[in-house]
Amino acid sequence: MRAWIYAVFLLSGFAALLYQIVWQRALYAIYGINIESVTMVVTAFMLGLGVGSVAGGIVSKDPKRPALLLFSLVELGIGAFGLVSLQVFHAIGEITLGMTAFATFVVTFLLVLLPTLLMGSTLPLLVSYLVRTQKNVGKSVGSLYFVNTLGSAFASAAAVLFVMKSAGLQGTVRAAACLNLTVSFLAYVAHRRTGAAS
Amino acid sequence: MNFALALVVAAVSGFIALSYEIVWYRVIAFESWGLPGAFGLLLAAYLLGLAIGSRVAAGFCKDDVKSGDRRQLRSLAIFALLANVAAWAVVPFFGWTAKTGLDWPAALGLVVVAAGLLGAILPLVAHFGIAPDGRAGQRLSYVYLANIIGSSAGSLLTGFVFFDIWPLRTTGLAVALVGLALVGALVLLSDLGGARRSQYLVASGVVAVLLVALTPRAYDRIWERLLYKENFRDDTKFAEIIETKSGVITVTQDGTVYGGGAYDGRFNTSIRSDRNGIMRAYGIGAMHAAPKRILMIGLASGSWARVLQHLPGLEHLTIVEINPGYTQLIEAHPEVRGVLHDSKVEVVIDDGRRWLNRHPHERFDVIVMNTTWHWRAHITDLLSTEFMTLARAHMELGGLFYFNSTSSDDVQKTAATVFPFALRVYNFMAVSDSPLAFDKSRWERTLKTFAIDGVPAIDRGSESGQKFFDDLVTYADTINAAPEAEGLESRDSVLTRTRSATVITDDNMAAEWRRVFRLQDPP
Repeated sequence: MRAWIYAVFLLSGFAALLYQIVWQRALYAIYGINIESVTMVVTAFMLGLGVGSVAGGIVSKDPKRPALLLFSLVELGIGAFGLVSLQVFHAIGEITLGMTAFATFVVTFLLVLLPTLLMGSTLPLLVSYLVRTQKNVGKSVGSLYFVNTLGSAFASAAAVLFVMKSAGLQGTVRAAACLNLTVSFLAYVAHRRTGAAS
Repeated sequence: MNFALALVVAAVSGFIALSYEIVWYRVIAFESWGLPGAFGLLLAAYLLGLAIGSRVAAGFCKDDVKSGDRRQLRSLAIFALLANVAAWAVVPFFGWTAKTGLDWPAALGLVVVAAGLLGAILPLVAHFGIAPDGRAGQRLSYVYLANIIGSSAGSLLTGFVFFDIWPLRTTGLAVALVGLALVGALVLLSDLGGARRSQYLVASGVVAVLLVALTPRAYDRIWERLLYKENFRDDTKFAEIIETKSGVITVTQDGTVYGGGAYDGRFNTSIRSDRNGIMRAYGIGAMHAAPKRILMIGLASGSWARVLQHLPGLEHLTIVEINPGYTQLIEAHPEVRGVLHDSKVEVVIDDGRRWLNRHPHERFDVIVMNTTWHWRAHITDLLSTEFMTLARAHMELGGLFYFNSTSSDDVQKTAATVFPFALRVYNFMAVSDSPLAFDKSRWERTLKTFAIDGVPAIDRGSESGQKFFDDLVTYADTINAAPEAEGLESRDSVLTRTRSATVITDDNMAAEWRRVFRLQDPP
């Protein structure tokens, strides 16, 4: 079961980085690639991940809550947002172009809040699940962080070497969304198996 | 207490890790001339390192070592020390691989190692600060949040403040010293006894002193090393270096400007001693009868702006430049300084596309972009059909959009597809919604009358001057000859020649991703 979870989390990391690359590009096209805009977008992403991490941590506190099922739903949510993300960014971007820098930051943060919140919540959810069975925080965090980041590293290389060239921005987010839906399904299967085993 | 310590260590390590990433990003951007593939592969190497580091660190997290055990702080201190030394060495390593001809891909190896050591910190911190109970997930989330807050602070402080006030070597050293301060704090808080603790502290101090002493040598003329690569010599030195949060501008001894490592023109407004293709700027006079309002996106050396500023009949020249360092550069060069001290000229620091989007009612007779290379990261934002449509909306009736295609078939095809009237002028595309020609009589008149600060562009008083003038006037006839790289070419010919090229859109980013690896030859 642990290997199954690692494989699923690797794919999740792969999809997350594809989104990050595409969304940042889309937001730079709207808000500019000057250092102020770049910093704003990067910070908004990070804050979203941080808030998501806390949210995932709070949810994971209750051992009765099924961590794998929640993870499955989170991935489903990320995929669903991913499918419409570029259209949402462009629509909001056009409305907010004339805003001040601070207002633009707030809007950017809100734009990426939902998906990054969901993404940020995945690590605490799976850590809480693994620690319950493994009883070793360092190993759980290290292993999960390893597979998730490895997935992101593969995604970054793949994006450069062929995905962006062959799929473009829209095609890349669609591919990422398909991965999320796959991950969601696999996590759901893991949840059902865990339930059956216990 | 232990959990609070874990939060602080997570935050500081996040600050360090992201600061280094930003430093490396700036270095690879310069060395690769802003190649999109280089950024992606740097990120891949960085993430691969973090992944491997976290996996290795998991092996150090023994089941019998419980949370709060201060023996773990020793492992943390050692990893943090090694991580900082390795990360500090990455920039000089980029310089060394450049000189050996291996270029930036080889330097990514050390990025993996340094990021690996940095990546080991988070699992070790988590193991130290979090008990393996039902609240582990929640506590981890706070550690992760602290790490992210530290990373954000790194992005803001290093990218926004340090880069604006310090050269790269000072920033690199400052980040390393923050890291070594973390090492010292971990040693102080560890379980080490008096003598051992002192030894560890002295060792950390020695490393800090060594880094301070070695930095000037290790980072010596780093920008020169990255640009000149195997042609770097002991006496190689830039005439000027301007480092700001917006980027790095360097000028060679012969007055060639490099923006972010990429060729960005030369200081020259003379059409007679044309070493920067300035003739193309004069050519506007042959294609538009009397431009009153001109928008120029990108300022660079200011040479083009200096020519445009003197076009007869010009009432207002708006220049949108993304990097304020260029105004600093131009102010220091008498031959172009006048651009900044003319009431007709307005310089705006902004992203060109965003400025157009935010000023929907502005209209211009001519929009000019001496665009950078078509394959650089994010250049799609200025070369796509979407951008051309945006530019069109800002053109007066009969207006001209004139920009550098840097000889890209994709760019030329895009321009000739979006606009019904098009002309290639050397490597520039001139496009319009109205009929367009490189008019010989207007060209002749332009060359005859053009003067900068009262000095004629061409002195026809001498025999050589008259001959130069006569030859240059015939440039307008090249439209009737077989297309050549430096001549004129009609829209139909461009479209026929670029049949197999791709029309660039925001979505396909065709020009950027056509070739992933593109190592630059040194000057």
